Amino acid sequence: MSSVSLSEDQRDCYQELTNVAMGQAADRLARLLDAYVVLPVPKVNLIESSELHMAIQDAEADAAVSAVCQGFIGAGIAGEAMLLFNDTSFSDLATLMNYPGMNNPESLDREAELELLMDVSSLLIGACIQGIGEQLEIHFNQGHPVVLGQHCLAGDILKSGNHQWTKTLAIEIHYTLEHVNIDCDLLLLFTEDSVEKLNNVIDFLLD
Amino acid sequence: MSDSNIEIGDIHWLMDILQNIDVGLVVLDRNYNIQLWNGFMESHSGISPQNAKDQNLFALCPEIPRDWFVRKSEAVFQLKTRTFTIWEQRPYLFKFKNYRPITGRTATMYQNTSIIPLQSVTQDVDHICIIVYDVTDVAVNHEDARSANQSLLDLNSVDQLTELPNRIIWEQDVKREHARCTRSGNPSCVAIFDIDNLKDINAAHGHRIGDLVLKTVSDSLRQTMRQTDLPCRFGGDLFSVLLVDTNEHSAAEFAERIRNILQGLIVRHGDQAISITTSIGVAAFNSVFHNEHDWILAANKALLHAKQQGGNQTTLYHPSMKKG
Repeated sequence: MSSVSLSEDQRDCYQELTNVAMGQAADRLARLLDAYVVLPVPKVNLIESSELHMAIQDAEADAAVSAVCQGFIGAGIAGEAMLLFNDTSFSDLATLMNYPGMNNPESLDREAELELLMDVSSLLIGACIQGIGEQLEIHFNQGHPVVLGQHCLAGDILKSGNHQWTKTLAIEIHYTLEHVNIDCDLLLLFTEDSVEKLNNVIDFLLD
Repeated sequence: MSDSNIEIGDIHWLMDILQNIDVGLVVLDRNYNIQLWNGFMESHSGISPQNAKDQNLFALCPEIPRDWFVRKSEAVFQLKTRTFTIWEQRPYLFKFKNYRPITGRTATMYQNTSIIPLQSVTQDVDHICIIVYDVTDVAVNHEDARSANQSLLDLNSVDQLTELPNRIIWEQDVKREHARCTRSGNPSCVAIFDIDNLKDINAAHGHRIGDLVLKTVSDSLRQTMRQTDLPCRFGGDLFSVLLVDTNEHSAAEFAERIRNILQGLIVRHGDQAISITTSIGVAAFNSVFHNEHDWILAANKALLHAKQQGGNQTTLYHPSMKKG
């Protein structure tokens, strides 16, 4: 098994790529919600499979969350995007999205929340994946989103152990909105054998 | 296909694939009029592509909620981003009847759909494509797994012999009631029962007779209590009941009634006739109980007191009772 590595230049390049992509995603979110989206610097890291739990727990500590996962693949590069959504964000989000029949955000039921979750995840994951793909000139196909859980603890979302990889590339983005109580984390995880191909594309860009 | 050097002859077999592929494909224009309706859609809806062409989606398929679908699709048109619907969110977009009499176990087809933007040569999105996947098997398997988990959970929460809830479940009920009483100040009581002579019965007649006694007691308990009362096999020869919205006086009456019924009961097994007596401890909710455990402990102290006084009696909890 080839060992996955990342040079400083490559890391900077991934960071820049993500910056542009998440900027586009944030722009779409801002247009949809008509609110100012605060953009932090994305975190680019190589993580061990044993650290995946920590990356998630780090993101959301012990808050109740809902999560959606979506696979993507293109030009032999594959990965999965996960959106972790803090449960306290739902009512503000429903208000912002101005959903019909959701005039009273307190009475959001599970289905309405799922609807919100799907809309926001389609938008954020889709825009981010496309944004990265466009810069690399790769067309990514997206699988169907999978709901990992609603209202569960972040630590319980992933079935532990038995990951088919040891070390891989992870990009973490933490989105927050100004003046409203909405925050969510987007985690992009590439498959182990994608990283080398991705690094080659990046090196080509760096030259 | 992206390298658009497709010959006219190739179009022919590409169309063939579109017709035969086992996913639904529908192309809509900006006004939600149908521009493409493939073989999958025809097979399941019974509407031919000729009849579907140029029809409005919402007129042809009234099961699709217009506002909901437009809201989703506008994002695809305007933001050029894909969107998805999954069966957990909405079981289907197009209402297709189950078409498999043997292996199809649902009335309708479960569907996942992708809604993707189609860019014209000018890079504008003036068409969108709905891709419909049949995920009935996935949905059915998921439901099966969920109901299997639920019955495992039920097995875990009910005492198999008496079919009463076990202590873990009951303590959660008491916890909720403790919170409710703390908030509302309504009276509620916890009563704990002990069969005085179960050990002797087990020793003299064997555990099978002991089990029969336990079953008889639980049946009597079920018949005597009100529907709102929450019973429990507390463990061993102990039973308990949470008497909701009941003051100490009524709870004591209830306890005496059940004690008398059980005392008059004769458990018969073959030619053996066995009679039992019970001791009961009752604790009314008191705001000094910090949690449900304090409350249950108080009922236990009252029970211990009843046993120390010779058994076959009901004792009400009093704060002066010490443990042991």
